Amino acid sequence: MSVVLTGLVKRYGPTVALDGLDLYALGGEILGIAGPNGSGKSTMVGVLSGETPVDSGVIEVNGQAWTPTRNTKVAVVHQEPQLFPNLSVAENLVAGREQFRFGRPSLTPDERLLVDDFGMHGVVDRPLGALPLSFRQRVEIMRGLLQDAAVVLFDEPNSALTFDESAELFENMHALAAAGKVVMLVSHRLSELAAHCARVVVICDGRTRVELSGAELTPERIAQELVAGIVVAERTSSKRDVNGDVALESDTWTHRRGAFRDVSMQVAAGEVLAVMGVEGAGGRELVRSLAQLEDATGSLKCAGRVEYVTGDRAGSLFSNLSVEENLALRMGSAYTGPMGWWRRGVSRSAAVEAKKRFGIKAADVDDSIGSLSGGNQQKVALAAALLTDPAVLVLEEPTRGVDVGAKADIYRQLHTHARSGRAVVLYCTEESEVFECADRVVLVSRGRVIDDALVADFSDVEELARHLSAATRADEQLTPAGSNPAGSKEE
Amino acid sequence: MTAEVLEPHELPPTTTGTRRAANSLLGTAARLGGLVLAIALVMLFFAIKSDGLFLKTNNLLGLLRYMSSLAIVGLGLTAVLVVGEIDLSFGNLYGLSAMVAAVAWIEWEWALWMAILAAYAAAIAVGSFNAFFTAVVKIPSFVATLGSSTLILGFTLYVSNSNRYDPRYPPPGKPDVSTGELALFRGLANQDLPGKLPMQVIWMAGIALVFWFALRRSLFGFRLRAVGGNPTAARLAGLPVARYKWFAFLLVSVAAATAALLDFSYVASVAPDAGLTLLFPTFAAVIIGGASLQGGHGTVLGTLLGALLLAVIANGLAVTAAGAFAQQMLLGFVTIGAVVLDQFTQRWRTNR
Repeated sequence: MSVVLTGLVKRYGPTVALDGLDLYALGGEILGIAGPNGSGKSTMVGVLSGETPVDSGVIEVNGQAWTPTRNTKVAVVHQEPQLFPNLSVAENLVAGREQFRFGRPSLTPDERLLVDDFGMHGVVDRPLGALPLSFRQRVEIMRGLLQDAAVVLFDEPNSALTFDESAELFENMHALAAAGKVVMLVSHRLSELAAHCARVVVICDGRTRVELSGAELTPERIAQELVAGIVVAERTSSKRDVNGDVALESDTWTHRRGAFRDVSMQVAAGEVLAVMGVEGAGGRELVRSLAQLEDATGSLKCAGRVEYVTGDRAGSLFSNLSVEENLALRMGSAYTGPMGWWRRGVSRSAAVEAKKRFGIKAADVDDSIGSLSGGNQQKVALAAALLTDPAVLVLEEPTRGVDVGAKADIYRQLHTHARSGRAVVLYCTEESEVFECADRVVLVSRGRVIDDALVADFSDVEELARHLSAATRADEQLTPAGSNPAGSKEE
Repeated sequence: MTAEVLEPHELPPTTTGTRRAANSLLGTAARLGGLVLAIALVMLFFAIKSDGLFLKTNNLLGLLRYMSSLAIVGLGLTAVLVVGEIDLSFGNLYGLSAMVAAVAWIEWEWALWMAILAAYAAAIAVGSFNAFFTAVVKIPSFVATLGSSTLILGFTLYVSNSNRYDPRYPPPGKPDVSTGELALFRGLANQDLPGKLPMQVIWMAGIALVFWFALRRSLFGFRLRAVGGNPTAARLAGLPVARYKWFAFLLVSVAAATAALLDFSYVASVAPDAGLTLLFPTFAAVIIGGASLQGGHGTVLGTLLGALLLAVIANGLAVTAAGAFAQQMLLGFVTIGAVVLDQFTQRWRTNR
């Protein structure tokens, strides 16, 4: 069994998602795939699952050219499974391979055996939508096996799973590999990649950057390779000491659904704080909870108003409105006259000024927000929040999918805002962002803050990346004995 | 393969054999049981309010007849909602197919069987039209069928020249239809069976049985639910999504034509705008019966009970002489109330 990708190219308009990607995977091994946001990982997953056609390039399975409609299936286990929530587990397994014309779908003895193997016997007749995510993922794996898939691709499969559930998932992965299948794992969790994979391929800018195996395969090394491919924007000077007043303070701050617990932290006025953590570790929920977007209990004190900018622009911008209107929306009554009359002139001149101050590239502030590039849209989202001069600005991955130039502009704006005596808290998943933008970084793992470091103490981004991944790994090894499937491979 | 065994604590708590069976049954039973209870309460209310007039056999049989055409169209609509689409044109298609049959038979002097065939041809054409724009051109079915609905009404008015048709009294200058054909046609719906049971109830029962088999006991129904549950997953699984949408639109169209012909047979007269008042009650019946606009959900029994509830309300208000406005208001209230109630019970079920 083998899968070979040669020279895959995929463009979306002017954006090149895959730029001649080459990689291979063999049966019996787990191949890890890592890459920063926007590196082309998700496009590759889409190509292999048949959802995305490629512009050029060859995919070979077992030495034969492969297309999504060929008999050899590639099963993809998605972060959010692509299944039928209204059908039962059994019906989900049958859908697409039905052996009946009349009557009801039923499982063959072999299929029942598989259901038992996966411990799903008790839930086989329950509607899938009512089951927890780990069960739905198992159904997706089973569907792949029943289609006789030669390749099983796991796409960030455990980002929303508990520790036990993800241990279980890895057991399944190893079993699949042992049965001779090609298993591929796309993940942000570097220590898991290092622990479970025979080889890890790092993808940057739509190409294979490096392949790591053997002694080279350590979380620190992957972290280093992930950031090495990125042109680091000019580092905004970060402060060693921040002696401002406290702008935000949390105590025993605990998520209602358990994503994080007992977080006590302070953010000083004048400081840019990065909250770092892989998806599912609780960092995102923590940051969102500061803006009351997640339910949490405990005490939270803020020096003033909190404004929030989401990671996806869909959550911050109004695609049907113009640049000016987007900038005006958070301003409340600042632009309105008697009886709610909108003083268009005031709002327009404010928008023109903001366009200049934030370096928004748009022909006119009347342009529809959709006509701007991603980076400029993100600047508008940021400007809309900053114009209200919040005491605390909270952002989720502020430069996701943004080019280097716009990135530097955005970091500068965040700093200017912080240095005027306000606080900025941002959620990051990439070390380079922490290094370029933040004064201090708080690392979240498994729902708790496990590390708190000053960015100025690190001389380069590689050093920071090594430090953070070592801290994450140390935390993950603190788990109860026996439940860590990682133990076996690390000598 | 993997031989790992789940610890019992990892299974959701309510999964042991009998408990599970009871649970899934309970879900359906709770919903339908609530509906049955609502029907009983509304019937009791009207029985008291009308001094027992409502419970007279003749009245109840009339109620069942009214329910029949609602249920027949509703079953077709259920298929469309299950596949995840919507149809707003079946009301006017109901008017069109009856009118096509009437005009062909009376005005153009076709044989009865050809006229009926023409009515079904019109229905199939409209269903395919809707399916084409929805599944191939890929515009939302709400828009496609909203457009085709008014298009059909216009066409019906054109074909009929805005006239009402009655086979017993042909328009001036046209010969009478043959008495044999007239008797045959009226016999389709307008004859009483033993116990004065209206013929239409038998039609409804037969059609419901066919729908139940198609939706619950065949590959067709299974795939219909799969496509409605997640069209993307269905496409990835290799199911012909467009074809199943087309089937669903055909079903509602054929159902509407059937109901129209039966009603035409019963009252022996048809007006071009006959279907205008059918749209809302049918939707209400199907939604009350548990079909969801998100697709993937909907049952034959639920739709039947929904149609029964609406028939009880319509008939009860008529018997108590409450006036048309009361019927309209109550209809709206009951529809929203039923869906709100359903959402509550669903949340309660998932939160347990």
